[in-house]
Amino acid sequence: MKGKLEPSERERLVEEGKNLKESLVTLEEDLMKLQDELQHVARSIPNMTHPDVPVGGEDSSAIRNEVGSPREFSFPIKDHLQLGKDLDLMDFDSAAEVSGSKFFYLKNEAVLLEMALLNWTLSEVMKKGFTPLTTPEIVRSSIVEKCGFQPRGDNTQVYSIDGTDQCLIGTAEIPVGGIHMDSILLESALPLKYIAFSHCFRTEAGAAGAAAKGLYRVHQFSKAEMFVLCRPEDSESFHNELIQIEEDLFTSLGLHFKTLDMATADLGAPAYRKFDIEAWMPGLGRFGEISSASNCTDYQSRRLGIRFRPSEPLQTGSKKGKANLPSTKFVHTLNATACAVPRMMVCLLENYQQEDGSVVVPETLRPFMGGIEVIKPKLR
Amino acid sequence: MVLHTLRLATVPLTFTTSRLFLKPSPTLSFFSRHVQPRKPSFLLRAFSNSSAVQDTPLTQTSSDSSAARPPQWKAAIDFKWIRDNKEAVEINIENRNSNADLEAVLELYENMVTLQKEVEGIREERNNVAKKMKGKLEPSERERLVEEGKNLKESLVTLEENLVKLQDELQHVARSIPNMTHPDVPVGGEDSSAIRKEVGSPREFSFPIKDHLQLGKDLDLIDFDSAAEVSGSKFFYLKNEAVLLEMALLNWTLSEVMKKGFTPLTTPEIVRSSIVEKCGFQPRGDNTQVYSIDGTDQCLIGTAEIPVGGIHMDSILLESSLPLKYIAFSHCFRTEAGAAGAATKGLYRVHQFSKAEMFVLCRPEDSESFHNELIQIEEDLFTSLGLHFKTLDMATADLGAPAYRKFDVEAWMPGLGRFGEISSASNCTDYQSRRLGIRFRPSEPLQTGPKKGKANLPPTKFVHTLNATACAVPRMMVCLLENYQQEDGSVVIPEPLRPFMGGIEAIKPKLR
Repeated sequence: MKGKLEPSERERLVEEGKNLKESLVTLEEDLMKLQDELQHVARSIPNMTHPDVPVGGEDSSAIRNEVGSPREFSFPIKDHLQLGKDLDLMDFDSAAEVSGSKFFYLKNEAVLLEMALLNWTLSEVMKKGFTPLTTPEIVRSSIVEKCGFQPRGDNTQVYSIDGTDQCLIGTAEIPVGGIHMDSILLESALPLKYIAFSHCFRTEAGAAGAAAKGLYRVHQFSKAEMFVLCRPEDSESFHNELIQIEEDLFTSLGLHFKTLDMATADLGAPAYRKFDIEAWMPGLGRFGEISSASNCTDYQSRRLGIRFRPSEPLQTGSKKGKANLPSTKFVHTLNATACAVPRMMVCLLENYQQEDGSVVVPETLRPFMGGIEVIKPKLR
Repeated sequence: MVLHTLRLATVPLTFTTSRLFLKPSPTLSFFSRHVQPRKPSFLLRAFSNSSAVQDTPLTQTSSDSSAARPPQWKAAIDFKWIRDNKEAVEINIENRNSNADLEAVLELYENMVTLQKEVEGIREERNNVAKKMKGKLEPSERERLVEEGKNLKESLVTLEENLVKLQDELQHVARSIPNMTHPDVPVGGEDSSAIRKEVGSPREFSFPIKDHLQLGKDLDLIDFDSAAEVSGSKFFYLKNEAVLLEMALLNWTLSEVMKKGFTPLTTPEIVRSSIVEKCGFQPRGDNTQVYSIDGTDQCLIGTAEIPVGGIHMDSILLESSLPLKYIAFSHCFRTEAGAAGAATKGLYRVHQFSKAEMFVLCRPEDSESFHNELIQIEEDLFTSLGLHFKTLDMATADLGAPAYRKFDVEAWMPGLGRFGEISSASNCTDYQSRRLGIRFRPSEPLQTGPKKGKANLPPTKFVHTLNATACAVPRMMVCLLENYQQEDGSVVIPEPLRPFMGGIEAIKPKLR
């Protein structure tokens, strides 16, 4: 219509333009609806799985590593709840009145023990080049979704804040994942390695029965979480590095544990591969999960929008982006529990109890607790 | 940054002695049997309700509308005392700018007393009728008595319903009556607060100084921008040495306060909203500071004072177990609704922060001296850190409803160019304990001859409660970063904190 035209020709073109515009509007609306629907259903497609991961349910998980052996006790042992009562270390009863079940107060040496665990963990993991962080514990619910969790499902693990689109985090993985969302990082900035401290809040909806006793399953707890952002080709080796760090930490504390390569039915949607560590809890009479290390490859980064721009131009003749910049790629993300305090306390109290009712403090933690060697029963 | 050991070096070994970890003597749960003679009967209801699990959905009624819903618990307010001292109470309400309606309270109370007498009268009549019906009677006489009994019963039911409504309404209006005030507290607003003490003086800088936000950026210590995307404004991440500094502050504070005989605690950060109310806060007001959890009656705590106050609720403690002294660590969550402007910059006003809070339960005659002890501990802590600060005796209009007297400490923040509150120490006397139901039974019989309770036990009294901030991390960080900055952009770590940070002496700019 920019050129010179006969009036009737112009009129015809104007008409054609109008019709085209109307069709376009309708089609564009339909396209958007389709895209939204596609997003909805596609989001639940889980990450692909590492070829070495065993296929099947819980029983199919493979044992990667086993450290230590169950301690032999020459006296009848107590579980951590009994030890907690006898040594005046925890109070679940007052918390049930004040807050509800699965809440607790820590008292006396247990407070020092929590601080020692977190301080020591920080110290050890920083030596490996991780950057310490503390994080918000209230986040927008969209961030929770982008990390692969479901804030609003029926049996959701997520507490929501009334009157807002905000939630409480269940793990520091969420706010740390959010730090670099919608960003393009330089390849030279990778890897980014964080050790993040936060309180974590979980509804534990749907969890009931014996596996809910005492400190084993609670609504609020302190946790130190490792989070790595790296190039795709490096994620497998970082996964190994993370599990190695965890195993070293728990070995230093003298725990007896197994590292499991979790089977396909037990991976969360984001994980390409997941290693869980289960430690021996003699008072409960079984192994209990104390940590989890997941390689989420690009599952979270595709949702959080975390990309990086490779440094050198690509060798082979792939297409380059504008201005001769190599095109961006999605980073890989990994997360691993360095220390989940209540479960560590279950392990330490139950494994280190003595016949006289006291609990020995592992040597590595003593400098972080003012040198206390033993938690002793108190005179009443 | 090289960090090899992180030592909690100066925690004294003496705390392994029994004294500091004495478990409080077993507390007796308070059930309705132990009501003192002649206490109004509504007290019984308070204790049967308080332990029930509350799963009712949230209702957004304001606490002022008495018709909206009946209170879930009852505050043990001493109405007789209020009536007998109404001039003093009225003056106090005015001085504090409170909107409590004393006239309404007194009127409702009189009506309630009258109605109560009426109810008791009818009950007595009913008893008499019942007694009469036990003897031998003419059939017509019996029939007449049965009729009378029925009528009395109907009247009673109606009157009792009205009594319950009156009691609920009375609770609603009476709860907003603020605590009385210590006679030495200055009357007036902010400007009337008196300076109790001043320590140190503002540091003189020979170079242009930065505020903590700039220092936080330059030293890669604080990230507000990412947090604004992830969570919203007034949220932040701490990074690198700031994380170590937070841990050092909390560890050192724990260590120092434990030496003074305080029992360490960590607390739940989600509590039932009734507990929040009992401590004197308003979970559901318009400009509430309290975050509520969707679909429950639970809230996030704004201070550890709340869950600690709740530990001994509905209990009778032995006098010998007092005082109970706690140092409690928790994260705190505040909506900061209604706070705007310059006083909200950076770490000065945030939605979530770590805090160490001291909480004391004691006998009434001891609360004033514990208030002095608490403020002394705070002043010693801040002096050790080399801060310049003023301790203020807060004037009547600036006291919260629960406080009988409140001392605030304001520290000099050179980057912000003003003093900022870093701690607050309140003596709440029996305001909170009357709501939380925390009593103690005196050990020896009373010397003078007041009436004793059943079985020769002295009657219980309400404890006094006090709370005081030992360390509110973000504000301490503002102080430390701004006061200890150097010309080369680094920040020196005060000596007491160094052993708790692996010996780091200064936070230096990082090579990029």
